[in-house]
Amino acid sequence: MDFNVVLGAIFSAAFVASVLRISAPLILPALGGLLSDLAGAINIALEGTMLVAAFAGVVVSAYTQSWVLGVLAGVIAGILFSLLLAFAHIYLGTNIILAGIALNIMAQGGTIFLLYTLTGDKGNSSTLPSLKVPDVIIPGLHNVPVLGEILSGHPIFVYLAFLFTWLVSIFLYRTRLGTHLRAVGENSEAAASVGINVNRVKIIAIGMSGFLAALGGLNLSMAYLSLFQNSMVAGRGFIALAAVYLGGRKPWGTMLAAIVFGFAQALAINLGSLKYPPQIVQMIPYAATILALVVYNLRQASQVRERTRKFQEHHMAEMAAARAGQD
Amino acid sequence: MKASTSQSESVAKGFWGKALSSPSIREFLRVVIAISIALGIGFIITLIVSDEPVKAYSALLFGPLTKINRVGDWIEESITLTFLGLAVAIVFKANQFSLGQEGQMVLGALVAGAISLFVPLPTYLRVPFAILAAMIVGFLWGLLPGYLKAYLNANEIVSTLMLNSLAILLYEWVLTYYIKPPDAGYTASDTFSADGIMPTFFPKLPFLTDLRTQFIDQTNISIALYLAIIAVIVVYYLMFRTPFGYELRMIGANSKFARYGGINVKKTIMLAFAVSGVFAGLAGAHLAMGIHRKLILNISFALGFEGIVVSLLANNNPLAIPFAALAYGYLRAGANVMERSSDMSREMVLVIQGIIILLVTAERILPMVQRRIASQKPKEPTMDGQSPLGDSTGLAEGGD
Repeated sequence: MDFNVVLGAIFSAAFVASVLRISAPLILPALGGLLSDLAGAINIALEGTMLVAAFAGVVVSAYTQSWVLGVLAGVIAGILFSLLLAFAHIYLGTNIILAGIALNIMAQGGTIFLLYTLTGDKGNSSTLPSLKVPDVIIPGLHNVPVLGEILSGHPIFVYLAFLFTWLVSIFLYRTRLGTHLRAVGENSEAAASVGINVNRVKIIAIGMSGFLAALGGLNLSMAYLSLFQNSMVAGRGFIALAAVYLGGRKPWGTMLAAIVFGFAQALAINLGSLKYPPQIVQMIPYAATILALVVYNLRQASQVRERTRKFQEHHMAEMAAARAGQD
Repeated sequence: MKASTSQSESVAKGFWGKALSSPSIREFLRVVIAISIALGIGFIITLIVSDEPVKAYSALLFGPLTKINRVGDWIEESITLTFLGLAVAIVFKANQFSLGQEGQMVLGALVAGAISLFVPLPTYLRVPFAILAAMIVGFLWGLLPGYLKAYLNANEIVSTLMLNSLAILLYEWVLTYYIKPPDAGYTASDTFSADGIMPTFFPKLPFLTDLRTQFIDQTNISIALYLAIIAVIVVYYLMFRTPFGYELRMIGANSKFARYGGINVKKTIMLAFAVSGVFAGLAGAHLAMGIHRKLILNISFALGFEGIVVSLLANNNPLAIPFAALAYGYLRAGANVMERSSDMSREMVLVIQGIIILLVTAERILPMVQRRIASQKPKEPTMDGQSPLGDSTGLAEGGD
């Protein structure tokens, strides 16, 4: 029975491990999207940033034969690329959504263009001897039967994804700059009135989102695969944005939402080995994203209704009390 | 922004100052400057990368005019771009950033193609039926994100992009499993029969045969040419002469004000997405029945965001869209010629496209230029408060 095969696949250590590996390149850009979104500067260019970083990492690691330099180049490229968004938005006055769209188009065209220029191939970089970031083997844990398979032996990006979720939550709620960032996103004029440099905060937020998206991109081209593929990010930058909303614009929530999407993708890969048409299976993550948007916004709306109702009840009670006092 | 422009307008005198204060000239200049800078950057890239930069770049700039069939390709592409540009203009006018045109177009192509292939009606019924069906499908596929945005406040960028991916997968699935003939070597439908193809735009009259064989028959331009012209007029009428268009523009200008003014904002936003989809669906019908004349994989190849560029170049003005489409279609057709006749890949145009979007939408470039011109005349040093980078209006630009 097909269904039992699927269930058996899901409740295995290998599946859980694959969910973690597939989720990492969603968690990292989602955290980036969270930072820029909370600063009131929504970063649509996450997708393009991931592409640029993935490409830069592959090319530099191929030419220097050093994965460290490759990662470094990818991170720098990602940060610079996202600062381009900040520059266009803040100094040129471009609408940030349109600027993000423009950067995504440039990243998509630019990477294919450079790939073709370097290799003569528009499809992938298989002719470049690029390197992989080595997997992390946790000593002692690695050989423990189930736990070892789930927790050990992943690329470093998987661990970074969880580390950065923690760091981002500390940054946002325990540091001065994090508080400023949230204040700017909540009400930039109020923030400016108490002396916060709004532009500086936005630039920093966008730069950090570029850094995290770059790690996500490098995860794809130097760990998940060991080459660059034309359009290999495949909408992950946008799914990451959806994860921000689904996660209630909170770091741990965003991480969980990204894992839900990772689960859907892992499921799609596992179902792909069955007899269903591959297109139907590939639809799962996208349909799940739309469903998640609906659920998040329905919940949001009901919360607003609830708050309004409470406020009204409270108000009525106060009025009644006041009237009673008058009598 | 307004404060800073009026400030410099009062300073700006003389020919350039006066010319720059007219909004339509400003718009036009903005576009010309943006395209020039973008093409300049493109040339620098070509100089660095190509072995024969001049040959490559002249192919890009003049290629579309070198042969009659290339002119035809250019016009055909511009027709698709006109439909897509109109689709984008409708939603952007209401300040909604729907990116769903690709999905609507792909499904429009699928439905139009399926009808062209399988519905046994004569040409004069089958073609209009297929076009109408594509428009309806575009409408429905736009209604969905419109509903999500208007009534659930779901981010339209995320939802439309996800719907695009879904539509493309749906297209591939139906094409591979239901439309592709079982013996076909690659994933594509049969070529449509003559009954399912948009007829040529130039009627087969008994006279002018020379003209026809020399020019018209070298191209595949179809009656979609007239459809595009009609569509432009319809959208203009819709936008500026109907209550729906008025509400659309009000919401785009200030949605809170529109709501206080008694406009049903939610319904209008939802309809904006859907009506936009009608024209994207039309673009799909043109792809299937006008250009390719069969259904192929990646039928929307490299057209995903092109409507946005066209609409931005036209400042979301429907009457300017065909001209923007011709200008931008020329660049795209040139890129194809460049790729075929040199060592440059056509994706360079995507980089140029990105730069054009950035520069056309950059609100502060013209005021900066204007202030530079203004400050040259009286030779007075600019005051700190007027510096374009430091002024406080930059703060309020933010996320709204």
